[in-house]
Amino acid sequence: MKNYLLLIILGWTLLACRKEEATKFDGPSLEDLNGAFVIINGLQASQDSVDFATGESVYFTAEVSKISPWKITITGQTSGAVKEITGLSSTIDVSKSLWNGSTTKFPIFKSEMCKVDLTFTNEPDTLTVYVKVLAPKLNAGFLISDFESGFNSGWTTFAQLGANMDFQIRSDVSAPEGESYYNMAGTVDWDWLIGLVNFKASAYGAPTFPLSSNPNNVYFNVMLYGEPGLTNTLVLFQFEEDENGDGAFTSTSEDMYSLQVTVDWVGWKMVSVKYSDIPCLVNGSPAAPNGEGTHQSNKIRTINMLHLANPNSGFAKAKLDYMIFTENAPLNP
Amino acid sequence: MKLILTCLLTIGAFFTFSQEEKKVQFVGGARSLLSNADFSSDQKDTVTSRKNAGGYALIDLGFKINPNASTEVLGMVRINNALGGFWGSGVTFDVRQIHVKGVVKNALRYQIGNIDYKLTPYTFYNHNADLLVQSSSVLKIKEEVLNYESFYRNNTWRQQGAAIDFALQFPKLIEEAKVNAFITRLNPSNLGNVLERLYGGGNVILTQSKYLTIGLNQVSIFDLKNTAANANAYRNNVSSISYKSALDTKKYKLGVSGESGFSSSFKSLDTTGGLRDYFVNVQASMEHKKSGIKAHVGYMDNGADFRSFGAQSKRVDFNQLNNFYERYTNDQIIRPVSNYDLYNDPTLYSNSITTGIMAYNPAINNVLPYGIATFNRRGLFAGMKYASKKESIKLETKYYLLSEIRGQGTTKRRNFHAFNAALEFNFSKFFSWKKEQKLILGYAFQDTKRTSDLAFEQISLKSTTLNIGAEMELVDDLYLLANSYYFASKGNESMPVRNAEGEIINFNAMQIAGKEVCFGGGLKYNFTPNIYLAAIYESNTNSFNAASAYRYNQFYIYYIMKF
Repeated sequence: MKNYLLLIILGWTLLACRKEEATKFDGPSLEDLNGAFVIINGLQASQDSVDFATGESVYFTAEVSKISPWKITITGQTSGAVKEITGLSSTIDVSKSLWNGSTTKFPIFKSEMCKVDLTFTNEPDTLTVYVKVLAPKLNAGFLISDFESGFNSGWTTFAQLGANMDFQIRSDVSAPEGESYYNMAGTVDWDWLIGLVNFKASAYGAPTFPLSSNPNNVYFNVMLYGEPGLTNTLVLFQFEEDENGDGAFTSTSEDMYSLQVTVDWVGWKMVSVKYSDIPCLVNGSPAAPNGEGTHQSNKIRTINMLHLANPNSGFAKAKLDYMIFTENAPLNP
Repeated sequence: MKLILTCLLTIGAFFTFSQEEKKVQFVGGARSLLSNADFSSDQKDTVTSRKNAGGYALIDLGFKINPNASTEVLGMVRINNALGGFWGSGVTFDVRQIHVKGVVKNALRYQIGNIDYKLTPYTFYNHNADLLVQSSSVLKIKEEVLNYESFYRNNTWRQQGAAIDFALQFPKLIEEAKVNAFITRLNPSNLGNVLERLYGGGNVILTQSKYLTIGLNQVSIFDLKNTAANANAYRNNVSSISYKSALDTKKYKLGVSGESGFSSSFKSLDTTGGLRDYFVNVQASMEHKKSGIKAHVGYMDNGADFRSFGAQSKRVDFNQLNNFYERYTNDQIIRPVSNYDLYNDPTLYSNSITTGIMAYNPAINNVLPYGIATFNRRGLFAGMKYASKKESIKLETKYYLLSEIRGQGTTKRRNFHAFNAALEFNFSKFFSWKKEQKLILGYAFQDTKRTSDLAFEQISLKSTTLNIGAEMELVDDLYLLANSYYFASKGNESMPVRNAEGEIINFNAMQIAGKEVCFGGGLKYNFTPNIYLAAIYESNTNSFNAASAYRYNQFYIYYIMKF
């Protein structure tokens, strides 16, 4: 009631009690934004070398005379990996430029020397320092495979006898992480399926994948490569749940959720999806699951990865790497 | 104190209960649209489809069930069939409306489910800040469709939750106290880091006598703690007092009304204390009974940090993309939302409260982009209203002379002028013709200026909107519709760029110069007052992107039914 008495007094008397705001303004000063550009303090790294694997991070500092849009570009000298940090300020400090070893453009950083460039929009200046990565960042989560240790004997695979078939692990510099990735290519003009791999939980010594039971907290992440000039590849991930715990998946009475990805881009791209957002699909169309109808991430028994293409579309090719489940957030590689 | 404990049933806005009422009724509407659009631009464009035909048929079918005299259950489904869809393809089924409402012991009225709600213009109110001129003829049909689609009725917001209201009468001091309260859900928790967000509040309206009414209003947007792994809960509280006093003399009706209050907006872990500010809005009004002229003059002072998202949420988010011809030219540049799109595309409109400062188009409304609840505005306003005795002539004008309270990026402040006028001339009433003949004019002018010795601080922006519409009854129930819409804006602005917390982090210098002209005409046949068929052709040109001016012509047929 006391507040309302105050309000009554305010409303009826039109108090001219607002503090004078003639000397105040919101936002950055337009004079600062439009003034002359001068570098006051050059670019510096907080340390020359950094071990991301132990949780270390590095940050960068600089100061210029006016608020400017800036971009820090960190480039791995061996891998070619790129991390970009952007901002709008006149000072760059730890709150704006902390780098924990993550990547913006694949591949992922290795143990390597990195070049760090600071550039400003509409200004010609480029400031450079070097930082050595002693060990790359480790990602928390359950790694299904990065294909660095070869084909797990617990997995199973099938590939059609089509033309120009290449359905296997390959190792070369194009891998976004490590040295190896899974290559999928071929022409199959009688069937959508080109090849598949079954990633079974039993290959990791457990009946189901060791994941949280909350499907809203579980994210499935995978890196996929789109071949230039080809947009006909579909990669289908099927997540089979053993809901009754009998050690088998029964398609007529248990849930299977499917993530279908149309690989219509060029280069590597990370796909991350919350498990609870993955639909049940039948022939690519949403359908009701056959089991309990609830996403149960802790009951995933097998992940089937199918490489598909329209049989009339000719040669299809894609690559796959670094399949990992993370919790609470998508992978920040 | 002898308090009469008599609770009154307040009169329902939409229905009253009676024993004679049918137990089950069908309510709803149906609409069908067939359209053929023709788009071209000054730039070479071999990518964008020049012609585009489409349409839909939809029916909103509601079941209103009265299980007893004091309860109503309403469920409404929408079946929408895109033109060309058949056997399930292109057909969607949605729940459009669902609620239960009733009266407890003839004293307390309640509603659960979908509720259309508003309180006061500064607490909870759906301002129409972007359609500045009175629509008529062709535009009126379109505005009615978009209002129906987004549930915009008398400035209410469609929310999901519960509301109650009741009234008490007293023998002394106060005649009556009406109590309204509501609680709605703005967003659910994601069980991760997004907290459950609710919006609740209400008011008590005290009628002292026919001379004085006072309202005590309170609304809060608040996060429910422990509904997600996030301890930083958001709050936006607004408290206000609204008042209206009236004096009726032999020649004049005189009145004073207004609303004043405080807002606070903060996060629980925010050590800076968040934003707190107040507002004052008061106006004096006068009506000359003999001439029918009404006039008012007022003063407003909305603090720069005044935040009331229930009243500052916009109907249209100008950061969104168009649904029709989203991109054009061979470079596939984005086509910004135009005035024509605002009338043409109901899907641009939202019916949710946004907890944040929404984007707006300064060319359309730079003076009061969030309606009368716009923050950082101070100044005078005035208006007049006139209706002739036969209501053959109606005129309404409003004028605002405002300035910023706090500058943006500089201590220099913007000054604003805004003028709105609506004139309706009803020939049939004036000349006592049998057939209905109407001419309606809507006009809006806005001027923004910021003067400074520094060129980059200077702002000058002018906008003009003019709409002329005619409705002429040719033969019984057959109307000729004609409409001409003109919008022009020229000048510059320095638009603030805000971060997620609403703080200004940068400014985008905008140069604005362009015109939008739309001519429309057609025929409308009224089968009954609630069923009509209209065939309309419109030609729209837009030159706001001088290098890529475009033309967007459209022929369409609407069939609209309400039952």
